[in-house]
Parts: sequence; structure tokens; C-alpha cells
Amino acid sequence: MTGSMRWVSLSLLVVLAAVVSAGELLLLPPALELRQQGQEHQLLLGVGEDGHWTGPVTEAIHWATSDGALVTVDEGGKLTAHADGDVTITATVGDQAITRRVTVTGAGAPPVRSFVNDVQPVLYKTGCSTGPCHGAASGKNGFNLSLRGYDHFRDHDVLTRQAKGRRISTVNPADSLFLLKPLGDVPHEGGQRFDADSLDYRILFDWISQGAPGPDPSDAAFERLEIVPGSMELQPGVKQPLLVQAHYGDGTVRDVTRWVKFDTSEDTVAVVDEAGTVTVQKAGSAAITAWYASKVALTELNVPRAEAVAPEVYQVAANHNYIDERIHAKLAQLNIAPAALCDDTTFIRRAFIDTLGILPTPEEVSAFLEDGAADKRAALIDTILSRPEFVDYWTYQWSDLLLISSKNLKDSKELNAFYRFVREAVEENRPWDAFVRDIVTATGNTQQNGAANYFVLHREIPDLTETTSQAFLGMSITCARCHNHPLEKWTQDQYYGFANLFSRVRVKNGKSGGNDVVAASFGDVLHPLRGKPKAPQPLDGDVVVDEPGKDRRDALATWLTAPENPYFTRAIVNRVWKNFMGRGLVEPVDDLRLTNPATNEPLMSALCLDLQEQGYDLKGLMRSIMQSAAYQRAAQAAEGAEPDRIHYSQYIARRLSAEVLLDSYAQVTGVPTAFAGYPTGYRALQLRDSLVASYFLDAFGRPERRQTCSCERTEDASIAQTLHLANGDTLNSKLRDEASFLTHYVAEAVADEVAVEAIFRRAFGRAPTPSEQAACVSALDGVAAEERRGALEDIAWALLTSKEFLYNH
Amino acid sequence: MYRVDAEKKVHFCDGLSRRDFLHAGALSYMGLTLPGYLQAKAYGAVNEKKEKNCIFLFMVGGPSQLDTFDMKPDAPAEIRGPYRPIRTNSPDIQISEIFPRTARHADKFSIIRSMYHTGTGVHDIGHQMMQTGRQFLNGLEQPHAGCVASYVMGEKNGMPAHVLMPRPIGPTGGNMPHGQTAGFLGKTFDPLVLNADPSLPDFEVPDLLPPEYISAMRLERRQSLRAMVDQSVKQLDENPDARLLDESFQQAYSLMSSETAREAFDINQESEATRDKYGRNKFGQSCLLARRLVERGVRFVTVNMFETVFNEITWDIHGSAPFSPLECYEDLVGPMFDKAYASLLDELQGSGLLEDTMVVAMGEFGRTPKINPAGGRDHWPQAWSTLMAGGGVQGGRVIGATDSIGAYPVDRPVTPAELIATVYHGIGIDLETELPSPGARPVPVVDYGTEPVLELF
Repeated sequence: MTGSMRWVSLSLLVVLAAVVSAGELLLLPPALELRQQGQEHQLLLGVGEDGHWTGPVTEAIHWATSDGALVTVDEGGKLTAHADGDVTITATVGDQAITRRVTVTGAGAPPVRSFVNDVQPVLYKTGCSTGPCHGAASGKNGFNLSLRGYDHFRDHDVLTRQAKGRRISTVNPADSLFLLKPLGDVPHEGGQRFDADSLDYRILFDWISQGAPGPDPSDAAFERLEIVPGSMELQPGVKQPLLVQAHYGDGTVRDVTRWVKFDTSEDTVAVVDEAGTVTVQKAGSAAITAWYASKVALTELNVPRAEAVAPEVYQVAANHNYIDERIHAKLAQLNIAPAALCDDTTFIRRAFIDTLGILPTPEEVSAFLEDGAADKRAALIDTILSRPEFVDYWTYQWSDLLLISSKNLKDSKELNAFYRFVREAVEENRPWDAFVRDIVTATGNTQQNGAANYFVLHREIPDLTETTSQAFLGMSITCARCHNHPLEKWTQDQYYGFANLFSRVRVKNGKSGGNDVVAASFGDVLHPLRGKPKAPQPLDGDVVVDEPGKDRRDALATWLTAPENPYFTRAIVNRVWKNFMGRGLVEPVDDLRLTNPATNEPLMSALCLDLQEQGYDLKGLMRSIMQSAAYQRAAQAAEGAEPDRIHYSQYIARRLSAEVLLDSYAQVTGVPTAFAGYPTGYRALQLRDSLVASYFLDAFGRPERRQTCSCERTEDASIAQTLHLANGDTLNSKLRDEASFLTHYVAEAVADEVAVEAIFRRAFGRAPTPSEQAACVSALDGVAAEERRGALEDIAWALLTSKEFLYNH
Repeated sequence: MYRVDAEKKVHFCDGLSRRDFLHAGALSYMGLTLPGYLQAKAYGAVNEKKEKNCIFLFMVGGPSQLDTFDMKPDAPAEIRGPYRPIRTNSPDIQISEIFPRTARHADKFSIIRSMYHTGTGVHDIGHQMMQTGRQFLNGLEQPHAGCVASYVMGEKNGMPAHVLMPRPIGPTGGNMPHGQTAGFLGKTFDPLVLNADPSLPDFEVPDLLPPEYISAMRLERRQSLRAMVDQSVKQLDENPDARLLDESFQQAYSLMSSETAREAFDINQESEATRDKYGRNKFGQSCLLARRLVERGVRFVTVNMFETVFNEITWDIHGSAPFSPLECYEDLVGPMFDKAYASLLDELQGSGLLEDTMVVAMGEFGRTPKINPAGGRDHWPQAWSTLMAGGGVQGGRVIGATDSIGAYPVDRPVTPAELIATVYHGIGIDLETELPSPGARPVPVVDYGTEPVLELF
């Protein structure tokens, strides 16, 4: 194993060396000013093409400084500032050299350590203020810091005043408990965290020596985090160190790499270690993210497949609209060839399932195949989008999102009203922004205005706050309820400002039944740490000023649906995209975060723009998606290409959802499913309540509608499902039913070939192949009359449990 | 997400003799799955000689250490609670008076009195940790120990490797996964969930057997036709989800045709006296069924004593509705456990199977030392007790100790990860066995450096 690994890396070295001589040298960052005595800053030397980073230099690098008294550079390219002035740093590789001018100012005095900008990052990275240690809600052993150091005033107070001030000794800094514990010089449950000669120790020591000053308005304001390089194209096996820079309001830029928490969005493609070195695993794309002092940054990584794809491939591939242009651009970056378009039989089935949740009938398939029009797919899409089943399917999807179930709404009049509200909106194709506005600003009686049940379903303010964010912004802000979000920019203050938008909603018993949702003129939610309310304020919107007679939720709705709000449009685009394409541009589909970017950001932006330009007309967006070549591609990789399940070079096959599968069984067999409380003939997708009993739906992953989370629906295979298909009373009973379409072929003693073909057409929308025909006919051959029905059932069972049927492909 | 690769599909070499197949002809195309097993054996991850079974009795709700297995009779009344310790057949062990039958088997089990975890004191976190050895909150779902056993050791005797009964743990307040699935190992290694109550008179395992009208001949016809039809969609063979679906079909076929499985689940074959002994309730009959399953080749059985902590009498004695009062320990929950646990140890011992079967009786955390104003005790993950028996574990020992009020371990603290390591050690899984995680990096069954509690063996 090790031996072969060594061979791999050796051969890569050879390849890279060739690249170095072919490409240009790049030295980052492009400009640099050091403003502190002893300040360190890493330089990154790499190779690139047209300024685009394609990997580190793997040959020997010689680093040199023009004046070692001002700035020194070590053999790894790390600079240290000593005295003011200008120097030139030169990196030489073989016969190529590249230089960087570096200015030093302010090195005359020893560095001033700021609590906010220097001490807090050390406390985080050494583990002190993390969740398992003193950052836990209740701290550890009586010493409690805010999680990852977001509450500077409290943390400073805890360090300098609590425990009778024993933690810090400004008189004799080295005797501070605050230093002795992490050095391991006195017993410390958390063990030794650093050495006395480390930079971390020096920073804390300096800070104490300087009087342990607290947060100060004159502290440089930390404005932005940046990963260098900002994007990369690397090869498998490459190890690429990263540089992370913090930018401050006074123009200072600092190398903060050593205190950063790194992560990768796709660890099958690349992993990143504590020090910020990326190791590329295999072809694909990934984002490497950095967290530092409550801000995040990312760098985009593309790893092309080894086999090059000729540029003409993308030029000749079907290109129907803007979607295909952006997908082809990404595929070209990664050397993935797009698949061919699927055939018409596959297309009509796929479009029906994804849009309507039903199968096309054999007659509909034949009519489509016989249609000779060049634009027949576009015409079919238009027809499908205006069919009545569209309303069932999409009402069901939004009912999942809004958690409509009798568990949450015990009053059936309320449940029906909420369902009716959603259904009417889908029926009239109400723009998504208007639909969401109707919900979050709903007032009135919940048996009349169904949307108002949103506030019956979510009565608690945190629940309303978090559900609204999850459902309509595709973001979880739950973390910020108790402390600043550890992975995102959301702070606890923002959470409580947002939460306060809901604090004046009142739900009262309705005089004529149900509940009345009203907006009161008073009431605030308290910030738990500050003990007083935060002014109502949408997450990163402006403070809402209360006016008599004005509902705070109006401001919320305006902010939510404003074109400038980047999250709202992304969230719905991502949900609709996933429905058709099988994979969200962001996955999980409702986990939008800066640190979880779309696999194709230009495409995401273009889709968002499209939806906004169409006035949030979801059918319009669906039409754009369905018309793209990407949606119409085969579920099979291009000839000779590896399968791709991420970048939309091929249609991503997936199992039919629980409801669609059950309805398809009813449709194919002609035997409707009985649901308690519903008239015969209701389909699963027409159920208003997720609690309607059905073992089949539960086994195949129907969401419970307990919690707003895409994770509720699962399409994984399990033995419970296959046992049920084999032995259960769902499919078997439908096949045996007298009303089943099979009865006709038993009773009428139709020719075997005709019966077999009928079963194939009903199940698959196609005729059997000759070998399928032969195998099925031989299964009927010589079967006694009383056994014939069983044989027909077995053929139908085999088709209806096959992958061709269970999958949308 | 990582899925099982085609290479891991292996054919059963001697499977025919062990499997009571109704139709051997079907085997020709059914590359029977022995996931990971042969590979694991090849790497020495499984010690065949030491291969043992395990029964997890999950005392859902979190039993109070002070009222069960870590009595503090000398503590003040508001600490020691209403129950008194009683002697057992082991000189070193005293337990609560609510377990008179269990007290007669203390030579077979040992108590770890110093369990603790540092996560949040909510049920879900404890469920995660005690079943997977890890805390993952809502992140990447870690596999249950039984699913790891299923992945590493494979099935035996045509029986599912891991059975969970009677039902999975439902909501307990936190809306987080409870760690009762195969998680990132994929649904193929999920436990077979019984979803039925073996104490009911009409108990049968849903969907286990074909309906009577489907004869063996028809079953075979269905399977061979399905395999034939699947030839036309070759492109789906590269789809990892579709491959899993095929594997699930194969597992289903092999299970439904197994005479052993049919017999194993037929609890009516037990005498009335035996059924009474275990207690005529869901937990008691599940323990009895667990014994039947282990006897017939199931490697790992998880029995959930309760499925929720709301509006049901459980170990979760906050003292006020919708939770349980402390008195339920003597009225209901204690006797329920006592009958089933004592009978299980007794019968496993009698049949000689205890030596090969580890029995772990555990809760997800302990309870506050001081009785609360409602007369109950609240969540306390800082200390609790776990019972270990069988599978090489020596009885009559006490591992670890808590302070004078049962609040914190003062000796030999044991984490959930160490408990899971102890289980793996006991059933013969090498602790450095690596699992295929969704990332490229393999994940060891327990974090490197986690040691089993060797004093038990």
C-alpha cells in the first residue's frame, strides 16, 4: 500500500516539475505591509496559468531578502519584521525569480497586544474557548468563556476580575494562573496547551505585561477575512498550504493562518489540516473554508479529471439556454463530458414524475412519440405545467415544507384551511414572494385565513424565528439562539433582533372556533444575556422603527422578499432545482451558508436572476430548468466517461418518492389505494395530512412533518422496503385485486404476447425487447388455466419492482 | 456518500448448507452479500475464535444511579431517596431493593458505577453516545455498535446481523438522531427493525414471510423475471443507491426463505411459564425474543425498553407530567426490568450461551443526586451505572466509584466511547478496524487511543 502510494507521488512530482517549467511563477499576496515589530507573514509561491493558481512549487525554492535588518525570510517563505523601511523579497526556482516589495512601519516599538484582535484568537485556537472546554455553556471548573470568544466584555471581565483576580497577575505576568494552567505547570484538566517559547504564549504574556487591557474602541476593526489563493486548480495528490489574511479598518492586513479553523465542503475531493494545508484526494470541486474571530472566508478548488476533454465537445453539446452555458463552463473546468440527450420515452416519464408525480399513460407516451414537431419537448413542458396534477404535486411539496399535519394542527378545520391556502396559491401560480408574504404576515381567524395557521403551528418565538429562517431562507440559525453561530456570521444579537419581529404576534381562541392571529402593539422578546430586548431587525437588514398600527412583520416580509436579500431567492431556487435535477446546487438543500457554497455559483446566480426577472413565477423557473439540455440528458455518463452525480453532466437517477411510488402502483394496476378518511381514488399526493396511516409510505421515507428539515424525507433502500414489496399487502394486493388490469388478460384469454406487451407498456411506457418478450412468454407457456393469473401477477411484480420502474431515470 | 462497492459483494461459499433455501436455483444470480466480512477477516479485524454476540438492553429515559445500582444509604434523605440497598449473591455488590431477582444473579454481572459523559444532558445526546460511542449532534450520523458489528462481522446462519426491537426510540425532546441506524455505513447495515410488540397475542413480524398464496415456485419465478428485466437498465448499475436497492432485495430473499428465521421469531414456541417469567410486557417478551434470536445466529440485538419519555412511565423520573414519578421504579419500571434481566441472564447461563453473549444494560445518563421539588430527579450525565455481563465479562465486580452523593466519578471514570470499545473488544472486533466514512478518510470503530475496560474480563 505504502509502496504504491510512493509511486503515485513520485510520478506526480515528475508531472509537477514539468508544469513549473511550463507555467509562470506566482507569488502571493500581491502587496504587503507589516506594521508590528516581530510580525510574521507567510508568502506563498506557486505556479499558474494566466494568473490562476495551479499548484505549489515543488522544486527547491531559494528565498532572499534585500535587507535582513529590516525583514528576514526563512526557508519556508515566512517573513518576520524587525525595523521600518522597504525591502525586496526574492524567490528563486531554478533560473526563474520573482520579487515582492514589502514595507515595514511601526516596528520601532514593541507590539501592542489587543484583547479582541490578539488574545481572543489565541484562546480559541488553543482550545480554551471551545465547546468541550471553557467555551461550554457552563464553562469548566468555574471558568467560563464565551464560545469561540464572541463576547469580549464578558470574557475580559471573567479573566481579569472573576476568581478574585487570581487568573491574571500584571505585577508578575509569568505567575498568572492564566499562563501556568495551559503551560501545564499547575494541574490543568485540559492538559498542556502551549510551550513557553511559543508565539501564543508570547502574545498572552505581552498582553498581561501591558496591563491586560480590555476591549477598546481604538482596537482596529476586523472587517474581512480572506483565503489566499482565492481559487485554485490542483491535481490529485498535491499538498497546497493556504494563507489566511485578516483585513482591518485601518488598512492593516495580518497573517492569521495559525489561529484559523479550516474545513472542507467535500472531503472526498480535498481535506485540509489544522495548519491549513490542503491535500487533494480526487477529481471534483470543493470549497475550503476558514473561520476566524466570527468571520468566514472560502477558496474554491477545482480538480480536473485526468482525461482531457476536447473543447469542441462542449461546443457541439446540446445547449438550450443559460443553464447549459454555465454547466458546460463548469464541466470544462473539470474535464467532464456532458451526456447525450435522453430518448423521448424517458423524457416524458421523467417530466411527468418530476412535475406531476404521476406516470404518463401508454396512450400519452405513444402520442408524444408520434408527434413529429421539432419543439415537441417544449410543447410537452407547457402542457404538463398546466395540468391539474401539477397542483396536487406542488401543494404536497409545500405542505411538507410548512409541516401541515394533524399532529401539529389538531383542529381539522384549521388543517383544511391551511391546506386550502397552499392549494389555491399553487393553483393560481401565486408568485413565491407573495405566497411567503401572505404566510409571515397572516392575521385573522385560522379557519378562514389558512396561512394564519403558521402561527398556530409555531407558537414559540424561537420556533417561529428558526422555522422562518429554515423554510424561507434555507438557513439554520438555531445555534445563534444561545451564542454566536460557530460556522456562520450570525450573532446572538442578530438572532434576538430577528426574533423580536415575531414578539407581537398573538394567538387567541377564536370566538367562532379556531384561533385568531392578531398583531399586538406591545411586547418584546428579551435577549437572554443582556436582559433587555434587541430592537427588531431582520438578520442583516435595518432596525425596524415601531409605528402605531404597523405590524413588525410587514417589515420582515419586505426584507425577506426584497431583491437584495440574497438568501430568499437562493433558498427557493435550490429547492426547485433539486426537485428536477436530483441534487441541490447546495446540499443539504436547506443548509445555505457562506461556508457551504453552491457547486456552481454562476449557475445559482443566473437561476436567481431568472426567477426575479420572472417576478417569482415558479412555473417560469421550472420551465427554464426543464427546457435546459441538462434536464434532458440521459442518466448515463457520456461514452467512456466516469459517472458524475454532482455537476449535472448527466441526469441523476433517483428512486421514486414514497408517495409517487405508491400512486404509480395504483395507476399501473388500476387499483386505487384506500386511505382512511378519504374517498376512494384519492392519491397519496392528494392527502392533506402526513399522519394518514400507511405503512408503505412510512417504510419508503415519507416525511413526518415534525421539523422543517429536508432530512425528513429519505429515499435510501432498506430491507424493510424490499420485504414489504415482496411479502407485504400493498403491491401484492393490488395485483390480485379483481379490479386490477391483469384481470382482463386472464379472463379474455388474450394471446401471451399481447398480455406481456400490455404489462410492459403500462409499467415502462415501452414495448418489451425480444428477449424480455421471450422470457415472459415462456413464463406463461404451459401454465394451467387456474395458474395463469398468478403467472401474470408475477410478471407484473417483476416489472414493478425492477429498477427501471422504481427509478426516475 | 460512500456506498458499498461492487467488489465487496462476495458469493457465499458454503452458504447453501447453512441457508434453508427454498429454491437453490435462485442463488445463481444472487451474489449474496457478506458485507465487509471476508475483507475484515482478511485484514484480521475479526477474531473468529473470539467472535461473540451482544444484547443491548437500553433503559431509555436514564435510570437514577442512586435508586438502582449505586446506592448511597449514608447520604442525607434528599440524596439517598426512598429505596434501600439489598445484598446480592456477590459479597461486593449491593443494589436497590427494587431488583430482588437481579440480586440473585450478581455473580453473572459486574457494575460500572463511574459512567459519565461531558455532552449536554439531553436524552438524544446520551442515546447517540451510548449506542455509537460518539457525539455527532446533527452532523454526520455515526453507526450504532450493532451496525458496525453487522458491517465488520457480517451475518451468520442466514439471520440478520442486527435486530432492533420492539421499535426505534422516538422523540425525546431534542429532535436529534438517536444513533440507532447504520449512519454513514448506509442503510444496508441498518438493523432489521421488528416494528411489532412480541407481547401481543397476534404477534408476527411484519412482512417477514411471503403470503400463503405465493408458492415457492412463484417466488422463484418472480425473482428470476425481475433479474431478467433489470438487465435492460444497465446504466443504473453504476448508481450507488440502485446497488443498495439490489442488496436489500437479496437480503430480503434470503431472510424470507430461512426456516431458522421463521422459528427464531416464533415466540409462541416458548412455554407459558417461560413467557411469564420474563414478564408479559413489551420489554419482557422482547428480552425473551432476543434470547431466541441470539441462539439462532443474530449477532446483535438492541432492545429498547421504551420508545419515548413523554406520557409513558419510564426511567425519566422528573417527578412531574408528562414525565414519570420516582415511585414508578418500585411500581412498574423496576419490576419490569428485574424480571426480564434476571430471566435472561439465568437462561443464557443455563444454555451455556452467556459465555458467548455480552449483555449490556444501560441508560443514557444518570440523575441529579438531590431530589427535586417535584419529588423526582433530573438529568445528570456526570455519573451513572451500567451493568455488564457475559461474553467473557466476569461477574461480581464493581468498576469505578462515585463520590458520597453519587454525583461524580471519583475512581476509574468510564466514557461512553470506552463502553463501546469494551463491547467491540468483548465481541471480537479489533479496535483499530477502520470504517469507510463518506470522506476519503477511514474512521476507526472508536477513536484511536480509546481503551476498553479490561478489568471486566
